[in-house]
Amino acid sequence: MTTSVQVQNVSFAYHRGQPVLEDITFSAEAGKFLALVGPNGVGKSTLINLIAGSLVPQSGTIFIDGGNIQSCRPRQLAHKIAIVRQGSVPVFGFTVAEVVLMARTMHYGPLGFESEIDRRRVAEALEMTATAEFASRPLASLSGGERQRVFIARALAQDTPILLMDEPTTFLDLRHQVAIYDLLKTIQIDKARTIIAITQDVNLAAQYCDQALLLRSLRPAPAPILSSDATQDRRQYRIGPASEVLTAAHFQEIFGVDGFSGRIGRESFFIPLGRMAKDAARKAGR
Amino acid sequence: MQQFLSPRTLCLRVAVTAVMLVAVMLLCALVGPERISLRTALAGINGSALPNPDYEILVHIRVPRVVLAAIVGAALAAAGVALQALLRNPLADPYILGISSGAGLGATLAIVGGFSWTLWGRSPVAVFAFAGALGTVWLVWVIGRITGKFHVTGLLLAGVVVNAFFSAVIMFLISMARGQQLHATMFWLMGNMAEEDFFVLWIGAGCVMAGVVSLYFLAPQLNAISFNPVDARSMGIHVERVQLLVFIVSAFVTAIAVSLSGLVGFVGLVVPHAVRLMLGPDHRQLLPIASICGAMFLVVADTAARVIVAPAQLPVGVVTAIVGGPFFLVLLVRYNRKVSWLR
Repeated sequence: MTTSVQVQNVSFAYHRGQPVLEDITFSAEAGKFLALVGPNGVGKSTLINLIAGSLVPQSGTIFIDGGNIQSCRPRQLAHKIAIVRQGSVPVFGFTVAEVVLMARTMHYGPLGFESEIDRRRVAEALEMTATAEFASRPLASLSGGERQRVFIARALAQDTPILLMDEPTTFLDLRHQVAIYDLLKTIQIDKARTIIAITQDVNLAAQYCDQALLLRSLRPAPAPILSSDATQDRRQYRIGPASEVLTAAHFQEIFGVDGFSGRIGRESFFIPLGRMAKDAARKAGR
Repeated sequence: MQQFLSPRTLCLRVAVTAVMLVAVMLLCALVGPERISLRTALAGINGSALPNPDYEILVHIRVPRVVLAAIVGAALAAAGVALQALLRNPLADPYILGISSGAGLGATLAIVGGFSWTLWGRSPVAVFAFAGALGTVWLVWVIGRITGKFHVTGLLLAGVVVNAFFSAVIMFLISMARGQQLHATMFWLMGNMAEEDFFVLWIGAGCVMAGVVSLYFLAPQLNAISFNPVDARSMGIHVERVQLLVFIVSAFVTAIAVSLSGLVGFVGLVVPHAVRLMLGPDHRQLLPIASICGAMFLVVADTAARVIVAPAQLPVGVVTAIVGGPFFLVLLVRYNRKVSWLR
């Protein structure tokens, strides 16, 4: 297996603040789907932005295809990595096609126009994400799920081996959540892309992802992340195959939430259960 | 389906609006308090010995004035487009970053100071206004840069603060001014055209053209940055460099306009909006077409300013505001209807 993204001993703190990430080391295999799971404010978006080169780590190194990203210019990096961030609100009324075409800006000719190749990449991306039918509509007139597909199309049009996603299914209903994950999985397999996605939906992550990285907060005293596993102690994260990392025990540990868990066929699931939930008492009684 | 702007469509549209601009300029040059005939004036080109007042009026009074209005209008509209994109704020105009108050302060100082020298044929008012404009923009940029990454909000706030402070100083100077100075200052602050000689016009036109052309080459990047600067960087665009270049060019172009004509308001706000509503937000098209339309708009407005109260003249800024305001409202209402219909 070749590695695509390699994060080595990376630590990061925002401007004179507390450390957010401490000594993170992992690698994402080429052509695999890696889920990034953890509580709010734990540094998942920070980690994605570090990989995208939008932030610079205080210590440690990040390699993309073996090259250190700190010696890359934005333009070189943009050939390797595309990122879909959480909902940006457009100020001006760009159409869907114009938004997707923006990903090709760095390939434009000297007169500021796209080539035939650029147009073909955009057309393919629109086709793949099923957004071609509203290509000439303004982005603002689309629903949340449609808009998310447009942003994925834009990342696809950038034509990079690596795709980063920051919570691609937030605010989407069940059908659209599944549709986005199906789309990402299709992109991963058909286009042989490496995908790293932050997600709050642990069940979808378990169904679709190959690897998972579980991130814990540094804020409360650095207690061992998993009391049962001495070798993993004191680290802020846990990385491994999705089936081993995304387990009920880990969720209870990291999110501090109790719940039902189980397995149906090849899919495992976890249903969180709060103190006031209907079956909370029965769960506690067992 | 026409999804993308093709170079051919762009060239065609630019050519059509440019031809319209020339026609409008010619027509407006023939309009004025003194009735002149084009045929008589054209006869004067051959340089006959007989005095030809029509030719004199057309070439030495009307044409310079119309060309000046076109230069100023194009500069303000281009700077408006660029700054609206840069600040990602549809309410931005060329004066938002303090240029107006800086130039105003310079001009007021020159008028109140009563200087009598000239620099390369320019009056002290124009020189002081130009220097004041660029100085203020530099100050705003420095203040804005302290406040953080991509400093867009910081820039806006710095512009507001500097504007408020310099306006207070201008008010102070005005309250100290004497009658004649007061009149000159007020006219300058409302935007006022005068007949300039061709040397000044050539320089102005050259600078503004250069500015618009260089902004055009930044237009694709400006599209992505106006959408989202953070994403633009991830798409391989050197955001900070583009922002700095756009900022410098639009400040320079605005400073030229201001030093030629005082503070002509509304052109830099209304024209970019109107063109964007009609043709969409793609800056490769918006920038050249808005410049040409800005030139057209100001040529017409200045002609009205010359004619309405002839033989006296209005400050052209009064006309642009009176015409521009309601026109803008109509556009907004129509635009909103279009959007709600789409939903």
